[in-house]
Amino acid sequence: MLGRHGNNLFWMARYLERSENIARQIQAALHHALSREDEGEEEWASIITSGGSRKIFDKKYDTLSTTNVINFLLRDRDNINSVASLMSKARQNGRSVRTSLTQEVWLSLNESWITCEAALKTPVNIHDLPVILDGIIKGSSLFRGALYGTMLHNDIFNFLRLGTFIERADNTIRIVETKYHRLLPTAKVIGGSEDQSQWEVMLRSLAAWRSFNWLKKGRLDPLGVADFLIFDEQMPRSINFCYKMVRYNLEDLSNFYGRDYKSLGMAREICLKLTNDRAKNIQIINLRDFITKHIAKNSQLSLTIATDFNLN
Amino acid sequence: MFDEMLCDHSHEGRKPYEKLVSWLGEQDLNKLMEKSVMAEDLFRHVGITFNVYGDKEAEERLIPFDLIPRILSADEWRILERGIIQRVAAINAFLNDIYNGQQIIKAGVIPADLIYKNKAFLPQMCGFTPPGSVYTHVVGVDIVRTGPNDFFVLEDNARVPSGVSYMLENRSTMQHMFPELFTSHQIKPISNYPKDLYNSLALCAQTKIDDPNIVVLTPGIYNSAYYEHSFLADEMGVELVQGSDLEICDGRVMIRTTTGTETVDVIYRRIDDDFLDPLSFDSKSLLGTPGLFDAYRNGNVILANAPGTGIADDKAIYSYIPEIIKFYMGEKALLNNIPTWRCAEAENLSYVLDHLHELVVKEVHGSGGYGMLVGPAASKRELAAFTKKLKANPGKYVAQPTLALSTVPILTKHGLAPRHVDLRPFVLVSPDTIKVTPGGLTRVALKKGSLVVNSSQGGGTKDTWVIGS
Repeated sequence: MLGRHGNNLFWMARYLERSENIARQIQAALHHALSREDEGEEEWASIITSGGSRKIFDKKYDTLSTTNVINFLLRDRDNINSVASLMSKARQNGRSVRTSLTQEVWLSLNESWITCEAALKTPVNIHDLPVILDGIIKGSSLFRGALYGTMLHNDIFNFLRLGTFIERADNTIRIVETKYHRLLPTAKVIGGSEDQSQWEVMLRSLAAWRSFNWLKKGRLDPLGVADFLIFDEQMPRSINFCYKMVRYNLEDLSNFYGRDYKSLGMAREICLKLTNDRAKNIQIINLRDFITKHIAKNSQLSLTIATDFNLN
Repeated sequence: MFDEMLCDHSHEGRKPYEKLVSWLGEQDLNKLMEKSVMAEDLFRHVGITFNVYGDKEAEERLIPFDLIPRILSADEWRILERGIIQRVAAINAFLNDIYNGQQIIKAGVIPADLIYKNKAFLPQMCGFTPPGSVYTHVVGVDIVRTGPNDFFVLEDNARVPSGVSYMLENRSTMQHMFPELFTSHQIKPISNYPKDLYNSLALCAQTKIDDPNIVVLTPGIYNSAYYEHSFLADEMGVELVQGSDLEICDGRVMIRTTTGTETVDVIYRRIDDDFLDPLSFDSKSLLGTPGLFDAYRNGNVILANAPGTGIADDKAIYSYIPEIIKFYMGEKALLNNIPTWRCAEAENLSYVLDHLHELVVKEVHGSGGYGMLVGPAASKRELAAFTKKLKANPGKYVAQPTLALSTVPILTKHGLAPRHVDLRPFVLVSPDTIKVTPGGLTRVALKKGSLVVNSSQGGGTKDTWVIGS
């Protein structure tokens, strides 16, 4: 496979995952905003902050109103991480590697892009929001389904999955980062229903609200949430789960190509560290430090994958 | 004006169209229009689009697809097929001669200046014969028709002809929309084209290697024909590469892969000569691969088509094709050329200037229908402006009579309406055989009365059937 194609596949998957994550975060914040009396400015602010685009936002908009934020996150072309920008880039990458995709995978991508372009052509108001967000998330699910159901599970598949899980790990880490102060053991003392709703937003934006309730019998304590989002081995968006998948896919590639890779060593190390950390009492982990290190490790891993496989 | 479907523009179908005309009679116009919208959706979702340079607003466009097929009988096709094979064989012999020996110039058949002063002539190719003496692995011969038995070659596309993906996609769209028509008609299949292309390219390399590594070389996703490049690579099961994926190592062409590099044996290149290799051709080009041409001349890679084939499809050379066929094949050309006035010659120029309002004038080195004057459709001001251009630079132009091109009906809101068409059959050349895929791409001018069929100028396409035995 061409190194450039590997790169296109990896980034196509990253962009798609990112746009799905943004849609989920908006969905959760919207749910939060609609369940209270003010506009829920703080939630909107935290989505923009966790996506790293606060500066661009402040340059263009005066207030963190719902309309400003959703338009910025969904359709602003000046925001390289808006859903519209990401979908265009994902499709561009997809077009570059059409020969590596089955017709069904390509169709799901192209159709999502067509739907997205049409839905985001004019400013979005809150009335259309649920349908648009559902559309984005469904498009992503369709893509995943086509991928699993029709593609050969070979190196092409592995590069796509690597992109997905590197991006997903990054997303979960950043969500935890923006809200880590609410996950600290001391947060419990502050308590109150207000903080509970914060944890709910966090879980909802990772599609994990129901599974958390199911596993933890609805006991919404901050350490339980932190443990779940970081260490849970079954939750497909926990940091632990994402790295397990990164490791799997790198092992696959290593077997497929018959070589050993530096990135595989890194992924193994991260997984081992997570297992060790989990064994400790979560109360003694310095959450702030833990998160900062993981953001750095994740981007280092992404770069190493690119070097190992000539992704250029 | 000759309509290919209906006898003298009546309601009665010509022979090859009899079944189709009676089928059409049973169809509800609204239902057909719905199918037309469905077909458009299909093209958009599959992403069968083309890019228009400098058109930011609509970066990718659809080529309008008309549902009414164009039909040729097996007898009509035999005439075309024989003529095309003869013509393409002569073109390859001509290229081999032009770059090795120049007998045709020595014999005084073609003026030396026309070759040596031609921009399409590549001196770098002199003294080199590509494997199997194949220069034009893929050719698209544009054909127009004026009557039941009157076919003319409009031009030969011997460089990087495009459009074959539309031929194939049009067919599969029609099969999807109207399966019943395919059971009632005996239509010659075309779906083997990608496999034929692969085999034809592999055959050229097989003097050296049994299982050659073939790639398609594209300028990238912003090229107008990118869809076609990816389609062909996909259908052939080969890599779709860009210049930046290639490097030359010890004189061999390599592609950069996820595990290192891999040798390439055949490059089906969909980029122009100028962009192949900045060392041998356009030094400013960023698209090419330095050293590619040396690897080619050393026999380490096959380029399809060979560089320098443009000298055979140049509009100035076009008018000599009957002589070229006579010279190399010892036969009279089976397919006619359109009479052509070379404006470089003084007496031709004065004739052209006097009859400008009834002629089509084309740039010798132009393509895509750009920079062309259609006399009968031009305003006085346009004619005057073109007269100036002609006088200033007569060598740049050739002129042809405006032919009464045949029509085939298209589907409109108000029912069927005749529109002018041309035909581009696709030809594959390997060392021992020349193969023409039955039918080809029919391009149709969608505007009433228009003679310009180019997709870049608002033309559409039709599925093209060769039926019967």
